[in-house]
Amino acid sequence: MALLELENITKRFGGLVAVNDVSLQIEAGELIGIVGPNGSGKTTLYNVISGVYSPEEGRVIFQGKDITNLPPYRRAPLGIGRTFQIPRPFKSASVRENVAIGAMFGTLSGKVSVDESLEIADHYIELVGLQAYKDKAAGTLTPTEKKLMEIARALAMKPKLLLMDEAMAGMHPSDIDNMVKFIKKVGVEENIAIVSMVEHIMRAMVGFAQRIIVMHRGAKLVDAPTAEALSDPKVIDVYLGRPSGD
Amino acid sequence: MRPKIEKYYPLIPVYVAYLVMFLIGRTMPSMWQMVALLAFYCAIGQAFNIFLGMTGYVDFGYVAFMALGTYGMALGITAFYQTGLGIGIIFIGLLLGVVMATLLSLAVGSVALRLRGAYFAIATIGVNEGFRYFVEGAKIWGGSEGMIFSRELKEAFGAEMASQLSTLWADVAVFIIAVVAAFVTIYYMRGKIGYALTALREDEDAAKVMGINVTKYKIIAFITSAAFAGLIGAMAWALKLTYVFPPDVFKIHYTIECIIVVLLGGAGTLLGPVVGGLIYAFSKYWLAVVAPGFQLLIFAPIIIAIIMAFPEGIMGLVKRRAKGTGWEKYII
Repeated sequence: MALLELENITKRFGGLVAVNDVSLQIEAGELIGIVGPNGSGKTTLYNVISGVYSPEEGRVIFQGKDITNLPPYRRAPLGIGRTFQIPRPFKSASVRENVAIGAMFGTLSGKVSVDESLEIADHYIELVGLQAYKDKAAGTLTPTEKKLMEIARALAMKPKLLLMDEAMAGMHPSDIDNMVKFIKKVGVEENIAIVSMVEHIMRAMVGFAQRIIVMHRGAKLVDAPTAEALSDPKVIDVYLGRPSGD
Repeated sequence: MRPKIEKYYPLIPVYVAYLVMFLIGRTMPSMWQMVALLAFYCAIGQAFNIFLGMTGYVDFGYVAFMALGTYGMALGITAFYQTGLGIGIIFIGLLLGVVMATLLSLAVGSVALRLRGAYFAIATIGVNEGFRYFVEGAKIWGGSEGMIFSRELKEAFGAEMASQLSTLWADVAVFIIAVVAAFVTIYYMRGKIGYALTALREDEDAAKVMGINVTKYKIIAFITSAAFAGLIGAMAWALKLTYVFPPDVFKIHYTIECIIVVLLGGAGTLLGPVVGGLIYAFSKYWLAVVAPGFQLLIFAPIIIAIIMAFPEGIMGLVKRRAKGTGWEKYII
């Protein structure tokens, strides 16, 4: 049984079809990259999986359970975590409190006390290397620190599926390499299926993903192992365009 | 690990402030009325802060919960004064007040709290006015004439005790309500509820995706805050004044005062409502003496200046200053 299954998902906004008849499967512990230009439907797909939008057509199945119409706050405890393209920290709360919120309301919801959540938070804060900023208000962090904090917060939810939205955008190339290594390591150690979505940082994808899904105009264009997907002529078309007169 | 009791240290300055006020009032009989006024504003601040401070939502209909508490006490006394239950009728009145305020908040909250920010604020303006016209128009609870129950109170307790209840015990009760409200505030802050409310106050959509049932937590804060409003209405208005008159209790003016007290002191802080309540009540009292009739005219620019200088309220600033010092664990 796949961890997550999307069956013929279609999401429209008025006349605009943001996601058009997309089906895909994600297995437990898989590392997947979703790539596609701006407007190709990646973020909408994330919102359908995390429950921010409900699709007009199709079903979302998580661990064998139909969650198509489940509100977002009931999906997180099942094990769906996500980070945002523009980090969304709870600004006035400290880094430690932010990450503890992840532990408190994620898959451990109802199983851990506030104090235990704070201990779990300390563990993940150390993992992403933010221990020096633990008691700082999250709103005062730099953009990169905020991203790390969001990752710690999402990991503290102990998700089974982690959706990362442009986690590496705006980062220095050497930071990207470190980040990729780190995320991959955590994913493997904790058996989290990680989906990383990028617009065009292929560098990150090559080192990270086992499989790549290419989105184009709301549809799934390619779904194949990384090396195969990146050399697919259709992908080259989407990214570089076809020479004129061809 | 730090001992658990340390989490509750921020209650110390709050309780010291209440204790000092109380002792001043008890030892100097001429001061009791002023101390009672101060306690009233601290208490409504403390109660309103549980909602406004912790969720960031503004409820313009808040006074309706105080009004229902007032009616609850009035109904309790008038219905049971001949039963010989003694002080029991006061408790029945309190219970009725709390239940009525809670039910209204549940009804309003479960609908209006699905709206965001400004839309919620607008929706709640109607609640207070609507309920007042309902009471007057449907002629329930004495309609527009209200309810006067000083005779019933005297009959149940005797003249002396009835006067004691109004001039002393109603005010003492307000102190107790403020003390309990402060405790509930920090209990929420230190628990899961507080974390959920912080998250939803800062970013409601992110909070949802993090697994927080935002509507549920907003309603918890709303009902708690409303229940305390009901208690305050029952004691500080009904038992103290021994009458209820719709235009007096369904008065948006009091909601505005609640908002001022909370914002002045620092929304979402524990000591803020005490500081805000004291400053507001003192200025109001003092301005009424030195410039009667011009209080609001003078007070408005002062409020604007304070809010401009301390956007996070006075305690918001103090809290920031205290960070990293030995005072930190006493101030939130």
